[in-house]
Amino acid sequence: MTKLHVAFKVGTAEYIISSDHVVHLEAYAGATRVPGAPEFVAGLVQVRGKLVPVVDLRTRFGLAPGEQTIDSRVIVVKVGTRTAGLLVDSARDVLRIDEEKFEEPPEMVRDQANGFVRAVTTQANRLLFVVDVPRVIGEEIAHA
Amino acid sequence: MKDTVDLQEFVGGFIAESDQLVASAKAHLLEIERASEANQPSAKLVRELFRAMHTLKGLAGMMGVQPIVDIAHALETVLRSADLAGGQLGSRACELGFIGVRAIAERVRAVADHKPVPPAPESLIDELARVDVSGNTQSAPLPVVASWDKKLNASERQQVVSALEANRKAYTLMFAPSDQHAARGVSISSVRASLGALGEIVKVAPRSVPATDTAPAGLVFEILVVSDADVEALARAAATTPAQVAAVEIEVSSAPALESLPATEDELTPIGRSVVRVELSRLDELQEQLSALVVTRFRLERQIASLSASGNDIRVLREIADSQGRQLRDLRRAILRVRMVRLSEVLEPLTLLVRSMVKPGIKEARLELDVRDSELDKAVADRLLPALVHLVRNAVDHAIEPVVERERAGKSRAGTVRIESREGAGNQLVLSVVDDGRGIDRAVIARRARKELADDDAVLEVLTAPGFSTREKVTETSGRGIGMDIVRRIVASDLGGELSMTTKVGQGTTFTLEVPLTIAIIDVFSFECAGQPFVVPVTTVEEIFELTEQRRIDSPAALRGRLPVALLERRGRPLPLVELSKMLRISTAESAASKALVVRRQNEPLAFAVDRMLGRHEVVIRPIEDVLARVPGIAGATDLGDGRPTLLLDLVELAAGISGWRTELPS
Repeated sequence: MTKLHVAFKVGTAEYIISSDHVVHLEAYAGATRVPGAPEFVAGLVQVRGKLVPVVDLRTRFGLAPGEQTIDSRVIVVKVGTRTAGLLVDSARDVLRIDEEKFEEPPEMVRDQANGFVRAVTTQANRLLFVVDVPRVIGEEIAHA
Repeated sequence: MKDTVDLQEFVGGFIAESDQLVASAKAHLLEIERASEANQPSAKLVRELFRAMHTLKGLAGMMGVQPIVDIAHALETVLRSADLAGGQLGSRACELGFIGVRAIAERVRAVADHKPVPPAPESLIDELARVDVSGNTQSAPLPVVASWDKKLNASERQQVVSALEANRKAYTLMFAPSDQHAARGVSISSVRASLGALGEIVKVAPRSVPATDTAPAGLVFEILVVSDADVEALARAAATTPAQVAAVEIEVSSAPALESLPATEDELTPIGRSVVRVELSRLDELQEQLSALVVTRFRLERQIASLSASGNDIRVLREIADSQGRQLRDLRRAILRVRMVRLSEVLEPLTLLVRSMVKPGIKEARLELDVRDSELDKAVADRLLPALVHLVRNAVDHAIEPVVERERAGKSRAGTVRIESREGAGNQLVLSVVDDGRGIDRAVIARRARKELADDDAVLEVLTAPGFSTREKVTETSGRGIGMDIVRRIVASDLGGELSMTTKVGQGTTFTLEVPLTIAIIDVFSFECAGQPFVVPVTTVEEIFELTEQRRIDSPAALRGRLPVALLERRGRPLPLVELSKMLRISTAESAASKALVVRRQNEPLAFAVDRMLGRHEVVIRPIEDVLARVPGIAGATDLGDGRPTLLLDLVELAAGISGWRTELPS
């Protein structure tokens, strides 16, 4: 069964998340730093009147901090009752992807990715990492 | 000594009070008119209007404004007959009512403008004296409700009978006041209020009975109520059991009813006694006092804990502290409740707004309110109303088609704007403004916005963009959008709520506003620290002063340089100074601090160095809900108008964190 996924770039890699998680996309114009919050939290933004924490995926994925560009996007996601933003380098495509063709990530990837990548898949010769959204927005912190 | 009171002092209050009474009188008249047209006369409404007139008369009498006294008195007389006729107020009487209320409003204005007050219009007073309120005066003896036989006057009887004839239900309930009730805040007034919300109270009759377990005070109130609610709900409202609720049926009585009546509790209650108007700032003050009390309570808890730790017997103390804790919680809840206002009252002015926009035969519309007994914080209500005014005005102006167009489309002549409410999840109130107008044409908006619009959300996005208007020509409109940016700002930025919309061309549009039931509004100072703006509650700041180098003193501190704390001399006393930027770890650069904010923690003053002060504001505070951004010392965030969150710091809690710094140091 194919489902819609939002594809985005962080560094040189391409990632996808199921559109079920995605509330909408926002341009990124900076966030309010929250002193004392985890390092991967870029800050707070106001989305339709609500305060939403933004997870900087570059930091989260252990990459060097990147420049904020006009392509930078915040993908607002919803997991259960939580709403969070994912700061990505760019987000352009919505792809129709067959979830049955998801494959286990190679061991090396899995180890390095700290569990943030739950599967890999390819489409039209593009390698796509399937992001574990709850993990990326720190479900383990929420339940700690 | 002066033997007269200078009335000028009271003019402001008189005008404010009268304006409100005039507004509520108009609203009541509208409702009465509608009820009478629908052939469901309501004695309750007539009595409420009567009370408004009576209060106005009293106020005007006090101020010596005789013309208002005269008009109000004449209206009162008409309303008294209307009450006797079971709430019946004919169309001419209604019209005279509107004329009378308008005449009163004009005279209130004259008082406000220090102009001579014109006398009461003679023609109006004359006609009020002559007008036949009901049009169909009933003279035949009425069937009588047996159990209430002698206690009801003609109008009350009429009220019950017409309700029963209209297939509505009437019930007799018994409420016996007791200490337990009093302890829970249940009294005849609260019962009256809860029942009033479920139906119309026809009569409340106190009766003395031998004191028993069920009536420990030797007093019961018998209440006759017309209501569509079920027995359980009524019993709950009257703080009694369903067994104490009995349905009333029509029985034909042989006894004529009119005779002198015993005084009832109804008549003994002075008008207006049950309502006190309080300035919101006083409630805020109350809430602040409460917060102080909560802080004291924490200190008490700590002391108890340390007493217990050193082996003292604290059982009794514990018990007292626990019950104090409960009382504090109850107090908090009670204060919150005081701030709540009925949504129906908040929305009343909208009915008049719609009425004023109607042009008979050209543009007809009516407002329907389906908000039941929803309540919300006065502070939310005050902010929300302008948004609703915009939406309702837009709906009537632009969405509801002219009568000819509606008839051509096979719609009713008059358009309907309906406001509905329901409680949402997590202390939210969901309000919908629904119209049956022309709907918003997505293609038209897309053309105006010069981009594709996938769904209603996208349309709303465009409509609420600042300055966007869908007006194509000055006179003709394709949808709406005037002031929609303001609506979004109020709902989203000011209240932290959400605005959404669905629309169907030819059928109408629904705007849904999801807003919190209560909001926290506080007075804050804003300042900058390491280039980032922050706010702190004004109440936590004891003092702000200029930092000048000579005030810093060297102290024997082995930790200096590692802890972000220095020592100042202030009025001959040492004052610790914390570099806020380092405390927050947002900057390691040499401080550019120029100001110090002093807070008090455990009775010790502590200063925080900040770069510069920005200002003082009254802001809405939003809680930070997500764990990722929930940090000790950060109590929430606000929007200072730049669309970005600004963090609210709890400096006292941050000060507590200083001991945390100490433990991190190498020993």
